[in-house]
Amino acid sequence: MSDVMTPAGSAFEATPARRFTPKPARPAPASTLGLRGWIRQNMFSSAPNALVTLLGLWLVYVFVSAIVSWTLVNAVWEAASRRECLDQVGRGGACWPGVVAWIPNLIYGLYPKDQVWRINLAALVLVAWAIPLWLPRVRSKLAIGLSLVLLFPFFASYMFLGGEKGPVWSALIALGLAAFFWVMATSAAEIATGRSFGRLVVVALGAAGRSDAYRRRLHVAALLVLYVAALAVTASLSLSFVQTRLWGGLFLTVVISGFGIAFSLPAGIVLALGRRSRMPLISLLSTTFIELFRSVPLITILFMFNTMLPLFLPAGVEVNQLVRAIVAVCLFASAYMAEIIRGGLQAIPRGQYEAASAMGLGFWQATGLVIMPQALKIMIPNIVGNFIGLFKDTTLVSIVGLFDLLSMARAVGEDTRWLGLFLEPFFFITMIYFVVCFSMSQYSLNLENRLSAGQRR
Amino acid sequence: MTAPAAATPPPIELIGLNKWFGSFHVLKDIDLRVREGERIVVCGPSGSGKSTLIRCINQLEKNQEGTVRIHGRAYGASARENDAIRRDIGMVFQSFNLFPHLTVLENCTFALTWVKQTPKREAEALAMEFLTRVRIPEQARKFPLQLSGGQQQRVAIARALCVRPRIMLFDEPTSSLDPEMINEVLDTMVELAQSGMTMVVVSHEMGFARKVADRVIFMDQGEIVEEAAPEAFFTAPQFDRTRLFLNQILHG
Ligand SMILES: Nc1ncnc2c1ncn2[C@@H]1O[C@H](COP(=O)(O)OP(=O)(O)OP(=O)(O)O)[C@@H](O)[C@H]1O
Ligand SMILES: [Mg+2]
Repeated sequence: MSDVMTPAGSAFEATPARRFTPKPARPAPASTLGLRGWIRQNMFSSAPNALVTLLGLWLVYVFVSAIVSWTLVNAVWEAASRRECLDQVGRGGACWPGVVAWIPNLIYGLYPKDQVWRINLAALVLVAWAIPLWLPRVRSKLAIGLSLVLLFPFFASYMFLGGEKGPVWSALIALGLAAFFWVMATSAAEIATGRSFGRLVVVALGAAGRSDAYRRRLHVAALLVLYVAALAVTASLSLSFVQTRLWGGLFLTVVISGFGIAFSLPAGIVLALGRRSRMPLISLLSTTFIELFRSVPLITILFMFNTMLPLFLPAGVEVNQLVRAIVAVCLFASAYMAEIIRGGLQAIPRGQYEAASAMGLGFWQATGLVIMPQALKIMIPNIVGNFIGLFKDTTLVSIVGLFDLLSMARAVGEDTRWLGLFLEPFFFITMIYFVVCFSMSQYSLNLENRLSAGQRR
Repeated sequence: MTAPAAATPPPIELIGLNKWFGSFHVLKDIDLRVREGERIVVCGPSGSGKSTLIRCINQLEKNQEGTVRIHGRAYGASARENDAIRRDIGMVFQSFNLFPHLTVLENCTFALTWVKQTPKREAEALAMEFLTRVRIPEQARKFPLQLSGGQQQRVAIARALCVRPRIMLFDEPTSSLDPEMINEVLDTMVELAQSGMTMVVVSHEMGFARKVADRVIFMDQGEIVEEAAPEAFFTAPQFDRTRLFLNQILHG
């Protein structure tokens, strides 16, 4: 069938053809292989190169040995006050007892000691909720992820805040709790039987063969049972009220950045799509919002929200200081996220949208199934970078009087017993920030590699 | 060609089509009727409006004046109606436009799953059938970027065929391929033509046009200059512009 193009091959047949034999491949020279080869090639290939290598090694040694001797070798582990530390080692070693004594405060702020279990429990729920997202046998990942972002906050807010709960608030808390029950049930069901919770209920009640409508009603009934159970648990739960003024430390940092992260991604997607919209009003509004928030420093926004927001609200409506800070951080982060996502969208060729459109997919389907997954994937490093920035930027909330991790660390040195102890708590929280941010960036690398595994040429 | 019954509307009907990009008049008074099972090859110099014309057929480009009817149904009533009409038309692009984040198989089942709500197993069986027809069933689990250009274009053809369109549009399907790969794609298209599919192909592969076209259309500056059966078109073109163009691509 290859006469489609006019073949030119036959014209050559007058002269006999020479035979082409490809050369066999040879192994690479031994001196470039293995660890030794690598070291020789990359670190000692020439005299200047060797010199730089040695200088570098020496610098690393000096730096690391200084840190190790201060943090570990010369450090004091037992003392009742900073005075005792100074008497033992002077300034040559770290005085850790001060930090250890303050660890509860560094982590939970001024949250009442006997109530700290509530934070821990919520953290545990968060982890249990998120784990199924990484289990290969669990298939309802989208629902689990969405419920985590949308419904966990209700449950967590009550755990943290406690206090009176009216009917509406109770219903919302129960919704969060029911979602958690469902996530646990469906993950267990999918791991054990490969069927989702709803299907399993239908099968267990022997209704597998019944009509679609009947099965759907059973499914809804099962979900209702979960919700009623959650309502009962919520009603029996009565937690004491803990003002947000007492929230602090790592806990507060995680709450603020958690809200910022969970809110900024969807909001950024909406804003980015809005900015690219063909409808002028929507595009104008999105652009204005994005540019406004991007051209003002976060500190200013925090100040504005803290002092000016009450002016715009009707008299008597009091907005909690923490809420103000969270709203400011969320809006700020969304504006940045929107620009990152718009960058990703711009990198996707028009042809992708056209191909989807030519298949009969509408705008939202094409965007959600073809464009957005690709745009988000190429933007993973930037998105996670933004999350990391956000996590660190929350230190600015100390400006408006909230006691985040950094402010708590500063408070250690103002404690009369540990007066002047600044370096050690800062070192400690530096490690916390480093561990959190480094894990995020490593996870992003890992995700990137996994997602693009099949796609390299 | 058996003439279709007068009652059934033609698959494609363009009436008085005019299109502008800004103030630039790209398509001028285009009238074209394509019969059931007819194969049309469109050629013409770069910028003459071939792509725009073929993209008006599935409304990737909207025309400002004139009517486009597919199987008697005109576009424009609503976005939903437009999407419905479009589902009868498959399109293959010069740059393949496969979805790089999905495997070959997922590319093929994509429209079945999301547009036609076909159950997964059925969709995959159908996709494998078409991948077999374009002779790359063994590549089903790979990602598009792991395939050669010719293979990618054949996947694109299979993907378009999966939803069982009644019309296929090709916009220069071989012009971004290395010479060795052009034939494998053209062979696939020839087979498709022989199966009786209604096809509109923008192409400069004159061998292909000779072999399968029922009509060749020559465009310049947004107009259909000349249209004729391939034999007449290649041996006795009427217009000087057509002769010049043919001289350039056949002997240039
Ligand atoms: N989206 C657009 N906006 C503005 N002008 C456009 C657009 N698309 C195409 N054009 C212009 O319209 C004219 C026709 O374009 P078209 O792509 O239809 O030509 P073509 O015949 O397919 O050319 P080629 O052989 O290069 O693909 C060209 O002059 C092109 O520059
Ligand atoms: Mg073109």
